[in-house]
Amino acid sequence: MTTMTQNVTQVYQVFIRATPEQIWEAITTPEFTARYFHGARITVTKDHYISLGPDDAVWGADSVLEFDPPRKLVHGWLSRYDEEMAAEEMSRVTWEIDPQDGGYCSLTVVHDQLEGAPKTAASVAGPGWMFVLSGLKTLLETGAPLAG
Amino acid sequence: MDDDRVFKALADPTRRYLLDRLYERDGRTLTELESALEMTRFGVMKHLKVLEDAGLVVTRRSGREKLHFLNPVPIRLIHNRWIDKYTERQISALADLKTTLEETG
Repeated sequence: MTTMTQNVTQVYQVFIRATPEQIWEAITTPEFTARYFHGARITVTKDHYISLGPDDAVWGADSVLEFDPPRKLVHGWLSRYDEEMAAEEMSRVTWEIDPQDGGYCSLTVVHDQLEGAPKTAASVAGPGWMFVLSGLKTLLETGAPLAG
Repeated sequence: MDDDRVFKALADPTRRYLLDRLYERDGRTLTELESALEMTRFGVMKHLKVLEDAGLVVTRRSGREKLHFLNPVPIRLIHNRWIDKYTERQISALADLKTTLEETG
């Protein structure tokens, strides 16, 4: 069996047929995030990144490092939804929205500074961010979240 | 939008090999990737370009280095579009067969 080294910098990119403003709204307002981000209601302002689970449990409450609507958002990440991962060190998530031809935007998510958070790195890799981003694309392009 | 490019990119053993190397360890330079292959630097660059155009590899600058990252999202989208659709049908066909057999049995 080959083991995968846990990557301390992870990069994900998706092309979405939507405007930068629509994507920005979808990643910063709880009504949208609840439909594709594991049910989390996420509110982002220039001061705070707050993520609440369906039962109002605090899944995220971290600092916003860069807030440049509708192009770039950088915030801290601590997986507060899991006891073991919550004890790890803070990592960082960067969202970049770049308009492309044909009414598309590229949305790039960089999750880095994961050196002190190996469990989080393993958890968000693979299906983690992929599920969130493919769900976001489906929501924005068809108005419906993925089933299940 | 880019299904054709993704399928084309995946239809080559060298490119699948490069993706596997990045899966093992992400964020590699061209020089590192080149050392794993019996191929000219130019040849590896051409393959990486096809992977980039398909969105399967995303590059980021880190100081003076250009690092290559595996982006699995297009594969997930292909999966949603082309795999789930057909496997679900098969599973439901089997479920229907089971129901029919058990009802008549």
